[in-house]
Parts: sequence; C-alpha cells; structure tokens
Amino acid sequence: MMFRIARSREGGSISHYDLYKVDIKKGMTVLDALFQIQDRMDPSLSFRYSCRGAVCGSCSILINKEPRLACRTQIADVRKSDMKLKHFAAISETPPGWNPDVEILVEPLPNMPILKDLVVDMTKFYNALESLKLWSDTEDGDTPRTQSPDDRKRIKRYVNCILCALCFGSCPVNAEKEEYIGPAALAKAWRFHEDSRTPDPDRYLKDASKPEGTPLCDLVMNCVKVCPKDVAPGGAIRKLKNP
Amino acid sequence: MTISTFDHDVLVVGAGLSGLRVAIELSEKFDVAIVTKVHPLRSHSVSAQGGINASLGEDDSWEAHAFDTVKGSDYLADQDVVEILAKEAPRAVIENECWGTAFSRTDDGKIAQRPFGGAAFPRTCYAADRTGHNLLHTTFEQTLRKGIKFYNEWYVTSLVKSKNRICGLTALEIATGEVHGFTAKAVVLATGGFGRVYGHSTNALINTGDGCALALRVGAPLKDMEFVQFHPTCLFGSSILITEGARGEGGYLVNANGERFMDKYAPEKMELAPRDIVARAIRTEVLEGRGFENEYVHLDLRHLRKEKILERLPGIREICINFAGVDPIDEPIPVQPAQHYSMGGVHTDCFGVTPVKGLFAVGETSCMSVHGANRLGGNSLLETLVFGRIVGKKAGEYTESVEQPDSSYVGQQTFEMRERLQKLLLHEGGNSPVDIRETMGQTMDVLVGVYRKSDALEAALKMIRELKKRFENVSVGRSDEKFNYALVRTLELENMLELAEVITMGALMRRESRGAHWRLDYPERDDTNFLKHSLFTKVEDYIRTELIDVNLGKFEVKERTY
Repeated sequence: MMFRIARSREGGSISHYDLYKVDIKKGMTVLDALFQIQDRMDPSLSFRYSCRGAVCGSCSILINKEPRLACRTQIADVRKSDMKLKHFAAISETPPGWNPDVEILVEPLPNMPILKDLVVDMTKFYNALESLKLWSDTEDGDTPRTQSPDDRKRIKRYVNCILCALCFGSCPVNAEKEEYIGPAALAKAWRFHEDSRTPDPDRYLKDASKPEGTPLCDLVMNCVKVCPKDVAPGGAIRKLKNP
Repeated sequence: MTISTFDHDVLVVGAGLSGLRVAIELSEKFDVAIVTKVHPLRSHSVSAQGGINASLGEDDSWEAHAFDTVKGSDYLADQDVVEILAKEAPRAVIENECWGTAFSRTDDGKIAQRPFGGAAFPRTCYAADRTGHNLLHTTFEQTLRKGIKFYNEWYVTSLVKSKNRICGLTALEIATGEVHGFTAKAVVLATGGFGRVYGHSTNALINTGDGCALALRVGAPLKDMEFVQFHPTCLFGSSILITEGARGEGGYLVNANGERFMDKYAPEKMELAPRDIVARAIRTEVLEGRGFENEYVHLDLRHLRKEKILERLPGIREICINFAGVDPIDEPIPVQPAQHYSMGGVHTDCFGVTPVKGLFAVGETSCMSVHGANRLGGNSLLETLVFGRIVGKKAGEYTESVEQPDSSYVGQQTFEMRERLQKLLLHEGGNSPVDIRETMGQTMDVLVGVYRKSDALEAALKMIRELKKRFENVSVGRSDEKFNYALVRTLELENMLELAEVITMGALMRRESRGAHWRLDYPERDDTNFLKHSLFTKVEDYIRTELIDVNLGKFEVKERTY
C-alpha cells in the first residue's frame, strides 16, 4: 500500500508530499504504518504517539481528508470510510497527484500551526482549558459527595473526552476564526455545568458564552462525526446555547 | 559560550498521576516544575482501566486491604509501606472525588466498588472501565488550577550529580532539538514503568523506564527488577489491556475445549485469582495444547449481557471492536498474557527517598516495595496518589533543608550532553536501533517471560550484552533537529537495554519461584534464601547485586493459595 505523507521540515505549511510503500499485515493501523516508515525508510518523519490504544489522544491526524486517531484507524478500513463532513479548504482541497484508489493520504490535523510534518502546535487548544478554568473548584474534604447514577449519567458522555483535538481540527469555524475556543473545551464546560456536584454551575455557562465561545459555533456538527469517544461536543454546545 | 539553564526548587520528571500529585503537593510552597516527554494527558496513567482500591465498605478494613496486598505480593512487599498504602487509600480516593472525578455510583449515590483479583471484598472504586483516564484528567485539571509549570515534550537525558548530591538534570527540548540544563535542589522521578523492554506489552509506547535508567547511572540502586507482571488478559495481536474488571464483573476464561479451566489452578477464587496465577494458568493451557491457534484462550463476557457490558465495560467493548473486530456482546474475546507492570524500580524508602541525596522516586518508577513479587489490580493507581502526596511532602522538607546547588555542574554536563548527542547524530553507517529494539523485545518475551529457567536466562543475558555492544555503534539515521523522534527512541532504547540486563540478572540470581517470577528449574518459594529484596547498583562498568531484608510485620509468611 502506498502512503502519501505531508511533509514540513521547517514547519508553517506543508512543503511537499513524500510517497512510501508500506508492507501491510492484517490488523495493521495507520500508526503502525507510520512507525514502519520511521523505522525502516525515513527516520526524519515526525508524528506524535503514546498509548496506541485510542485512549491518550496523541496521534490525531488527517487520513484521506478525515480527522482520525492514527492508532484507531485500520488501514483496511480507510478507503471505505465516509464521515460525511461539511467541507472547508483543508479537508476538501486535495493535493495534486493523489490517487485515492491506490494511496492513503496522511496530513497534519488542520486548524493548528504545523510545527514539523504531522506534529501541530496545540497551544491554543490547551490554553482554552485555562482561559475557561475548566476544573472543579471544590475544596478538599474528608467525605466523598454522593451522586445518583442518573446524575452521573448526565456527564458520562462528556467525561469520556480524551482531548485529542480531532473536533477542533474538523471544525470549519476553527478554520476561519482564530479566536474560536473550539468544541472540546465547550463540551468540557458543559460537563462541569451538568455535574450535580458542581457548587457554581453558572460560572461555566458564563465563561462558555463569551464572544469567542458558543456564539461562534454554527452547529455544523463535524465535531460529532469525528469524535472517537462519542462525546458529541456539538450536542453540548447546542445545550449551552439554550441551557 | 553560553548554555541557558533553568532554575527551580524541585523538578518532577514525568506527568502521569504520580508526577502530577507530587507537584500539587509541592506547589503551595515551592517553585516546582514538571519535565515530561509527552503532554501530561498522554501519560500512561490514562490507560488504567479497572479501578483504584480503598476499603470504603462497612465490612471492609484497611487491615483486610493490607493483608490481601501482602499475600498478593507473595510476602515480598514491605509491610510498613503496605500499611501506609491501605490506611491512606480512602483519603486518596475521596480527595480525587472532591476534585471532580466521575466515579461510577451505587444506587444510593456512593462510589461504586467492584471485586478484583486477590481481594476479599469488592474494594475497587471505578469510573466505568476508564478509571485512569478519569483520575488523570481530573488531577491534571487541578495542576492547571494551581498554575504548575510544565516543560512538555522535553526528554530528560541525564541527572546531574555533584560529589554528594543531585544538582539538576539535562534535557532535550524535542521541539527544537536543543539540550538545556535545569538546576534544582531535588529531582523526583515519576516516569512510570519499563514495559516496552518486552515486545508484547500492554504499556504505552512511551513506557521505556527512563527514570530507572537515569537513577542507575547516578549510582541509585534498582530493586526487585526481576518481578515483572504479566497481565493475563491482553488482546491477542495488539496486546492492548482487557481489564481485570471484565473478570470482576463475572467474565469467564475458557480454553479451546470449552472448559472454564481456572478451577484447576485456583478452585476458590477462579478467574479472580491474582494476576500471576491466572497468567500462568493461561500459559499452561496453551502450552499443553488447549489454546486457540496455540496462542490464546477466550475471555467470555456474553453471559453478562448487553446492558451490563455497555454500562460497566464500554471501553473494553470499544477496544475489542476497534482492535480485534470482535464485539464481546456476541463473541468471546481472544486473550493472552503480556507484560503489564514493573513491580521493581528505583530503590526507595516509604517516603520515596533514594540513597542519592536529593533524588526521589515515586509510583511505578519506584520500588518501595508495596507490591512485592506481584501487584494486585487496583493498587497501582492507588500507589500514585497515596505516595505522590507523601513523596511530595518529603521532597519539600528536603528542599527546605538544603542550599541551592552549584549550577556549574549542570552547565558542564549540559555542554557534554550536547556534544554526545551531536556525535551520535553524526555517526553514520552504524547499527540500526530498530533491529536492536526488536531483538531485545523478542529476547525478553521468549526467554524472560512468564516461565523462566536458567539456560534460557543465560542465553538472554548473553544476547542483551551483545545488543549493548551493538548499540555502541548505533546510527540514528538522517533526520532534522526539530521533533527528532528517531533520536528520542534511540535514547529510550539505550535506557531499556540497561534495564533488560538488570531484569535478566535478577531473574537468574533468584533461584526460586515467587509471585510473578516463576522458575521452572526452581518451582518452589524459598523463604530461607530468598525472602529478600534484590538490589542492583552500577559500580563503574558493572552491576553489583545484593540481597536485603524485607520489612515483615504482623502478617505471618504463609503458603499462598487461592
């Protein structure tokens, strides 16, 4: 199988694409292929990785124009995938020469500055956690709070977020508006708002409603389609808009 | 010539649960910074599934928890340390609950607890089967709240020591390829385990034992390195962990003849015997021809039914579907043992203090020893939070008691490290790190695995020493300075080769079977000679080995049956 991989040795923008012929075995993932390339063909290829089991959120990239975790993507399934995303430049414009019938296209996650090859600068994504103060303000105590199973169920979907930033990379608004906080952070704000244990739930609502927050979301729902953990950030944003 | 150095009171290496908890403890009074090779949320703590033990139940007690832990350890754990773990457990769990962790709940709203291997009570608190994920994200949130300083994607290349104390460290900024020095009064190693020494491991690819190798090189001893836990149920093929919680919820282990075979190995506890026993049982079934494809057995969850699987084990279902094409609601899961946890580590006391002044270790990196020869499920997350707090306190006390170290040692060593890495990068035409890494993994899998014997271990030791020789002439390959992961992985390999040698030396020296260490040629536990911790110290160019006493206590050393 041929892989066409975006390269950027200096960072900034994709400078060119390199072609690699990868030896495929059954059950192999795109992350396995990237390692085969780094190990056997080109040690200069840079990409992030850690758990290889779809829980750490390191290896978010664009595969055949769809934002995905490399470790969770079986090579055999890539070609038949269609997430039906709403298009914007980074996911609709294809590089010249790419033949989707015989090549898998791998590019860095859109909407973040490229640092080197498939490694992007996630500073802005992470900074939203701090600017929205996405943590619990509860003081230390000696007794655990109670929470009914039903109350826990209300936050279950949102606590599953692994902060992989696939939603951020899939969002047409993030592509256009640099100030937009993005889906993951807003979903996390909803998670704290909805948590029956939160002492001041309105604080999260207020912070999320800042001009660079929920007002910018057009409810495109690409974030829901790409989320590997079924968090459905767009659903949370819809609720944040009409609490 | 100027080389920039960074100054802090305390440096924590690693940003998993242990490292984060240490930093939180220190953040109020000290200038603490965390140096980590991946963003904190990518740390391996995130992968922990099943839960965290605490005797919260009315019928349960810290003594029962301590007893289970000591028995589970095959009596090698230091009982004074186990006592701290068990006593402090409820506090650690409650603290994280108060910080916001979304534990699963009982009908009356309490933190839910499930049965786990080797435990007399359902003692394992959980957040579905994503407990590590929930604890790590919550604890990380609290570090943001406290404004803790992070150096993310910095790889620590060496510890700096003057004649008698730690002065700081050198680290490679992965983004730029530059080496910088860090001066600090104390360094806390919290880099996790060294699972990737093995080819088949549940561990993240980043678990390369960096902290242990760094410690070894500055003369801090490693302890009990031969005790490597093989988790019984890992997904066939990728070795991704299938939590013990799957058996805690009632899953069966079944061989190719359709038999629930655990009745032969642990008639009372069955599937919920401790991990070492279940791993050996599976290996034996396969070796005796009752496995599927001579490789694996089945973990059958189908009788738990859809609703329970979706509620309690959603992550497991997702893993099985994504990585094996199997939906456990409809089909059994193919599983086999794989390396999972490192009971051994940097030799410390119960405060994380190493024999090298100013150097501390905590969590899986350390060996206090709280897990002895075999760790019980649910005790590793617990160890990170309980001892993160304690070690943080101790490192703070130390920091207050000493002067700022002489930064010239750091400057000098940074200069030398730069030269060393440049030379390494310029060396062309040498041996491939990939070949060395793969051979190391296979050697450890086959010769230093679940079942061990002297001729295999000797062959392994010979091979590892040969690989270390080959590494002296290694070439990273042509790359760029920025994000040179080929370089990082080569440096990690160097660390793992050191540890592979020590693990194998320990396995060879320990002529008995205890916990996770099983010698076919010495199948009995030998308390007369080996109710001892093994200690490994680097002295010039060789490793000195010795045995030291175990801290026994109120739990009498007995035969271990389940």
